[in-house]
Amino acid sequence: MLRIEHYSKTYPGGKKAVDDLSLHVRPGEIYGFIGHNGAGKTTTLRAVAGVMDFTEGVITIDGHDIKKDPVGAKRVTAFLPDNPDLYEFMKGIDYLNFIADLYDIPAEQRTKDIAKYGDAFELTGNLGSPVGSYSHGMRQKLALISAFIRRPKLLILDEPFVGLDPSASHLMKGYLAELCQNGSAVFFSTHVLEVAEKLCHQIAIIKDGRLIRSGPTEDLVGDSSLEDVFLELEGEK
Amino acid sequence: MKKFFALLKVSVKSMLLSSTNSRGKSRKKAATGAGAILLIAFLGLYLSGLYSSMLMQVLAPIHMEVLVFIFMGMGALVGGLLFTAFAVKGVVFGGKDNDLLLSMPVSTTALMASRVAAIYLENLLFSLFVLAPAGAVCAFMTQSGVGRSLLFWVRLLVAVVALPLLDTALSVLLGALVAFLSARVTRGALGQNIVMGIYMAAVFWFAFNLNGMIQGLAENAAGVKESLSWAAPMLWMADGILGDWGRLLAFTACCIVPFALVVFGLGKVYRQAVTGFAARSARNDYKLSAQAASGQKKALLVKEARRFFGTPMYLWNAGIGLIMLVGMGVAAIVMQGKLDEFLAMAGGALPVMPIAAAVMGFCLCTCVIAAPSISLEGKYLWILREAPVGEQPLLWIKTGFELLLTVPCTVIAGVCLTIALRLSIGDAAVLLLAALLFCVIHAAFGVLMGLTFPKLDAVNETVVVKQSLAVTLGMFVPMAALGVCALLYWLGGLIAPAAALALPLVLLAAFAAASALILAKKGPAMLRAL
Repeated sequence: MLRIEHYSKTYPGGKKAVDDLSLHVRPGEIYGFIGHNGAGKTTTLRAVAGVMDFTEGVITIDGHDIKKDPVGAKRVTAFLPDNPDLYEFMKGIDYLNFIADLYDIPAEQRTKDIAKYGDAFELTGNLGSPVGSYSHGMRQKLALISAFIRRPKLLILDEPFVGLDPSASHLMKGYLAELCQNGSAVFFSTHVLEVAEKLCHQIAIIKDGRLIRSGPTEDLVGDSSLEDVFLELEGEK
Repeated sequence: MKKFFALLKVSVKSMLLSSTNSRGKSRKKAATGAGAILLIAFLGLYLSGLYSSMLMQVLAPIHMEVLVFIFMGMGALVGGLLFTAFAVKGVVFGGKDNDLLLSMPVSTTALMASRVAAIYLENLLFSLFVLAPAGAVCAFMTQSGVGRSLLFWVRLLVAVVALPLLDTALSVLLGALVAFLSARVTRGALGQNIVMGIYMAAVFWFAFNLNGMIQGLAENAAGVKESLSWAAPMLWMADGILGDWGRLLAFTACCIVPFALVVFGLGKVYRQAVTGFAARSARNDYKLSAQAASGQKKALLVKEARRFFGTPMYLWNAGIGLIMLVGMGVAAIVMQGKLDEFLAMAGGALPVMPIAAAVMGFCLCTCVIAAPSISLEGKYLWILREAPVGEQPLLWIKTGFELLLTVPCTVIAGVCLTIALRLSIGDAAVLLLAALLFCVIHAAFGVLMGLTFPKLDAVNETVVVKQSLAVTLGMFVPMAALGVCALLYWLGGLIAPAAALALPLVLLAAFAAASALILAKKGPAMLRAL
């Protein structure tokens, strides 16, 4: 579903944020991407989502090259940044319809999905209010709903658990699993190693812009815990 | 005081310099600050230079120079209010750094004062650019030589420094009202629009009355001064500038006391005010019904419309030209008799159609809708970037949205002026063609300026809509093109009447085509690079 080949990103000034990264996320997989602050996780996710330009490497989503066919790649993708700023001048329902229109989601399907996810995340009653009046958690939920109603083939999440209450986190994990059962893939970054260990089929660890370990979670963790493996690889244990 | 100045530095920076894209070059940042000052300077100098010399011509011979300073003082007060009142909500009460600064060991009064001081500095610039030219006019155009003494300039300086205190106190009170209404009224934008509508109506009423007063000045200047007793502080200021130290002192006190009351009064309850103005809780009574689908382009266009009509700061700053455009057309028909009288007085020598085109162009210059639209995406840009929409359509939607508003208003104004001025079909066609080409120039060039001088990390919309370099250039470069058109009209007239009309049209067509072409060719890459 997602193929990253020899991707590198150098910022103006010469700082190499990511260096020669290659990984492959298959359909039905939840792929965790972990690393220290500044390791290059967000830079990678933003490049995959087509939000940020890059100079080296090839990224393809469901066969669409994000550089050569960005619109085609984005049509099958949903991306959620770590702190999603949503149009504050819109009502929640207007924002969902705006996103649904951009993704050409039929009226009947969007009504059904908005009801499903809105009710689950207990946000339906608030959808008539401007986003500007939402709390941080409500905005996070609205952004998540806007991602789920797209029924994306690839869902890209940057620190999705930050700001969500425990029940919303639990719900989200369920919906991520549901999405993967339907053949989609999830690629997300997190600092919550326990969640990554339990949720992910595959895990990649990045350090200073370089991929230092990747593979199936059970192979990576073995008899240890992800926290131990991570700290060991980071040279902190 | 050290803390106060540190806070003041932050406030001023957030208002002017740091409002550019943080990834931008320092030269661009400086240019943006310069752009804001340039805008204030232009408005101040235009207002003051034009009216001061006009008034002084009438009043100097009858030794009523005092009225010039009364009117200019009023102009500076109203102009400053117009410029800063709507900024107060964002700068004083709605700063993004409220949580950070309120958690620090700094008194709320110092914090409030630092933010109010930033507003004061902006008003000070306006006061300087309005009163200083009036002083210069006084020095050169009076026979009494009142403006040529050092003490006159000292007294003028006192007035320049004191007047913005009053302006700032009124701005903060009006801004507090706007912020309060936004927080309390369910449809916050509607409440703000109503306040701004009333305020704008008052400004226009004042401007029209000022013109009426100026017309009657020659006959009854003393009577006009008497009738201004309701504006006593302005009388004191004017008398003070011209030599009455006692009245100057009274005026200064009149400015300092309200300012101190506002700063210390609101400073005491600043934390409560900021909390109260920010408290907008989401309702929980929405019932989901069947949703309707529409296309990508319509969704993007509706989004632009929601932002424009739902952001009072944007609507009233960029939309005022539309009101002026339609208002001018309707007024020309309603007051056709007076217009005929005026044209008869000119003896039919005026180039009526080109003047009408220039006035329409001037109104259109103030409709800076497209220029700030890139910077207004700011922190929301990721939404458009991750959406399956190419850069090209995004830019055309932004250009098209301005055209959607300006073209109908231009056509209405053009038709009204054609009727009121009894233009021939040929002249009407040229007028409309020129105005419509100008609409295209203004919109496409505006988006280009937005892409060239983006401010994606602005602290609020005020900074983008009122102070960005993109907006300043989006307004003044087309205005300069109008000046070039006038020059070409004059030069063409030396060759042949047809050339007088053709040359400006060719320039406008070339400018429109170049703007559209550059936007189409370079725009997508520029947007991608933001």
